[in-house]
Amino acid sequence: MIKITNLEKFYRTEEVETIALNKLSMHVDTGEFVAIMGPSGCGKSTLLNILGMLDDPDEGSYVFNSIEVAHFNERKRADLRKHNIGFVFQSFNLIDELTVFENVELPLIYTGVTTAERVKRVEEVLDKMQIMHRRNHYPQQLSGGQQQRVAIARAVVNKPKLILADEPTGNLDSSNGNDVMELLTDLNEQGTTIIMVTHSEHDARYSHRIIRLLDGQTVMENIMV
Amino acid sequence: MFKNYLKITWRNLLKNKSFTAINIVGLAVGMASAALILFWVQNEVSYDQFHAKKDRLYRMYNRSKIEGEIWAWGTTPKPMMATLKQDYPQVEEASRATQASFLFTLDSKHLTIPGVFTDPDFLTMFSLPLIQGNPKTALNDMKSLVLTEKTAIKLFGNTNVLGKTVKIDSVDYFTVTGVMKDLPNNTRFDFEYLMTWKYWEKINGGVDKNWGNNSVTTYIALKPGVTEEYFNKQVKNITRSHSEVKDIDVFVHPITKWRLYSKFENGQIVGGRITTIKLFSIIAAFILLIACINFMNLSTARSEKRAKEVGIRKVVGAGKGSLIAQFMGESVMIALLAGIVALAIVQISLPAFNILTEKQLFIPFASPVFWLIVVTFILFTGVVSGSYPALYLSSFAPVKVLKGTFKAANATFSPRKILVVTQFTFAIVLIISTIIVREQLDYAQNRDTGYKKDNLAYTFIQGNIDKNYQLIRNELVTSGAATAVTKTSAPMTEGWSDSWGFDWQGKDPNAKIDFNMFNVDGDFSKTMNLKIIEGRDIDIKTYPSDSSAIMINQASLKLMKFKNPIGQTVMNNGQKLTIVGVVKDFILQSPYEPVKQMIIQGPKSWFNVIHYKLNEKNTTAENLKLAEAVFKKYNSEYPFEYHFVDEEYNKKFADEQRVGTLASLFAGLTIFISCLGLFGLATYMAQNRIKEIGVRKVLGASVFGVTSMLSKDFLKLVAIAFIFATPIAWYSMEHWLQTYAYRVNISVWVFAIAAFVTTLLSIVTVSFQAVKAALANPVKSLRSE
Repeated sequence: MIKITNLEKFYRTEEVETIALNKLSMHVDTGEFVAIMGPSGCGKSTLLNILGMLDDPDEGSYVFNSIEVAHFNERKRADLRKHNIGFVFQSFNLIDELTVFENVELPLIYTGVTTAERVKRVEEVLDKMQIMHRRNHYPQQLSGGQQQRVAIARAVVNKPKLILADEPTGNLDSSNGNDVMELLTDLNEQGTTIIMVTHSEHDARYSHRIIRLLDGQTVMENIMV
Repeated sequence: MFKNYLKITWRNLLKNKSFTAINIVGLAVGMASAALILFWVQNEVSYDQFHAKKDRLYRMYNRSKIEGEIWAWGTTPKPMMATLKQDYPQVEEASRATQASFLFTLDSKHLTIPGVFTDPDFLTMFSLPLIQGNPKTALNDMKSLVLTEKTAIKLFGNTNVLGKTVKIDSVDYFTVTGVMKDLPNNTRFDFEYLMTWKYWEKINGGVDKNWGNNSVTTYIALKPGVTEEYFNKQVKNITRSHSEVKDIDVFVHPITKWRLYSKFENGQIVGGRITTIKLFSIIAAFILLIACINFMNLSTARSEKRAKEVGIRKVVGAGKGSLIAQFMGESVMIALLAGIVALAIVQISLPAFNILTEKQLFIPFASPVFWLIVVTFILFTGVVSGSYPALYLSSFAPVKVLKGTFKAANATFSPRKILVVTQFTFAIVLIISTIIVREQLDYAQNRDTGYKKDNLAYTFIQGNIDKNYQLIRNELVTSGAATAVTKTSAPMTEGWSDSWGFDWQGKDPNAKIDFNMFNVDGDFSKTMNLKIIEGRDIDIKTYPSDSSAIMINQASLKLMKFKNPIGQTVMNNGQKLTIVGVVKDFILQSPYEPVKQMIIQGPKSWFNVIHYKLNEKNTTAENLKLAEAVFKKYNSEYPFEYHFVDEEYNKKFADEQRVGTLASLFAGLTIFISCLGLFGLATYMAQNRIKEIGVRKVLGASVFGVTSMLSKDFLKLVAIAFIFATPIAWYSMEHWLQTYAYRVNISVWVFAIAAFVTTLLSIVTVSFQAVKAALANPVKSLRSE
């Protein structure tokens, strides 16, 4: 599903140039659950942003579903993204002014799904995430675990082929964290490819494969059994 | 998608109540101000544009060289109308007009009402429809009368009055032959009834065939297809070919230009009210712009709060276009709310605005065109104010905003700062202009008039006043109402007559020099408290030879260059006049112009007004009661009507006063809107820098130090605005002052005051937030992560 080759990304300030990704190559197959680990500043998040087409690489190739996307413009990337990729963030990133239902509905609105279909799909996914009873609440009225369920519901409502999760348990206690990891595992078992950035060895154990980064390069790959 | 936007907009508005209030109030005040001005402009522009024949209607004008300058004026000889109709095939209809004022008597009702004498064509030329009567014949018979609805109701209590009679001036009975729909609020005509020209001729001694007396207005309707240019060529010599007057060109002034383009210089139109219209249109545009700028500034200042939302929406699939649409939608919605508030403000303030502008403006709620304009106006405001925030907010990169590394730009040259500078530049220009307008007004009002205006009243000579003048005069004094009485040709505040037929020893025989003419009988200087510089007042009782005596003013003396003016002879068309006195210059006409040369004639001339100096020992009310008794006794048919010279004199400043009041009003509103914006900006600035302030306080910064640090940035912007505003204000006000011969010099302190006021207001506005931020407990702000 994903194949990147010699990917490079630099950050420049007035005086220094920092290399975030240094000729990085990797691939992820459809249906895989991959964890990316490494110390702060190793390039994990940069990689995730490029994979999610929120950012573009300076050099190298990124093939997504057999399409070269490295030099797509913003509009084309947004188009590809909204149909194929769901995001889960450490800080949930829900819109405070919208209810649970409306937050989850948002991606469907941008992909032009009809109102009736939207209601059906949102209710379906809220049910699955066991958050249906909170559908008319606002994010501030929910616990962290509940908020992350809503965020996951929003990530999957469009039935994406790929979910990118950036430290999804980082702001949660261990019990809520385990629930979230179970949800992701379920999704993966139903066929969704998952790439997750994490600091937690415990969370990483849910994945099939761990890619360890240091200074923008792959240093090790562990296959989980 | 639209519903989602609406929802989030609405919730955002409710959640940030102070932000919403500042935005809506600012925008509403801006929109209401602009709307009021536009109402006024619309009224001015629509003046006399409603006549069906407006493309063919003209007023006759003359052009001639006087004192080396070409003058143009719109009064004509009386016989011109008939000649135009008879001898010029291009003319379809023509009519004359001149003022009338009569006492109307109906049963026990006595009313003096102003009207107009005119010819029968008047009613078919202009679209001033009759609701009763036939416009083609209504003015045919000498004693026919066309009343406006309002006057009909005033006299008869209803408008169903065709054929009824009313007594005019206790002499004649008139029959109502037409009732006219009340005049609209956008016509130059101002009368309560129309009377026939035939009646004018009856009371003024028959048909006036004199082509040398320019005293009436003549209107014509040309036949379709006749161009102005062509007709001007035809009519140019009409006065020359009918009289001895050889130096007057006649031309036409189209009705479409009457209101806005009626100022002539060197015989050519150079503008007129259009200048004021343009000026106020610019002010309207700027006030609206300033209100829009507020919105832009506040929206972008809040960008950090909105950034997360933008990021999330982009991540879940929003394109830039849909985000721009969302933010535009938000600003249009705010503009809509502001528009509703603005409409309410306009409706509430229109009565006061009407008093100020002396107009009858109203909101045409029933007109679809009006609502179309309202919607366009709101959309326009929403789109203008939403444009920059929409582009700015929608361009955020989700990677940055969601990571929390995003900080709104605080560059030295950010658009937000430019916008604040623009606002304040305009506000300061208006403040400076207001001060200068007021200064000029003060300067002219404090100018020495040359006579004493207080306790000086006058009454027009009507009915039996002339016949009983000596009795009235004596009784006014013996009753204690007045201390001195004099008859004059015109009120002290108005020049009704001028003449250039004078000759004296040493005059350049080729010069055509125009004098103001004023007629008095005895006690002139005593009544007016006017200083006689040389010689004496005209006094026919003591000096029987004073029937040919004149006085001149200082301006005349300077012109005539007499070393010993007393006893000198001035010839007037063969009549020998002797100078008996020189009076101090007094202001008869414009207080902004130098006093013009004047010749004051004695008792043998014509009189229209009685001036009387009220007795200072009594109250004004007592004096008026006494005076009323005297006038009633000798002129019982007429109500006692009086005017105060000081009040009439003050009316000379009405235009400038109005401009001054409007300028202050809009300057005040502009500074209010600007400060509202500044307040909003300061609020967000204080919030954004809360952490910095906490750290500074922990490290030992004082409250004063923090406050001034926060205020400094804003004051810098105000200072820059002041630098821009000064030359603009100076240039435009210098230009405005040029229109006055008697004017103030622009002094530095005007700018100093403007700087002081603006700085003070900005400090108050900003420091409120700054102090609040500086007083906050740093422990709280540092924990707020």
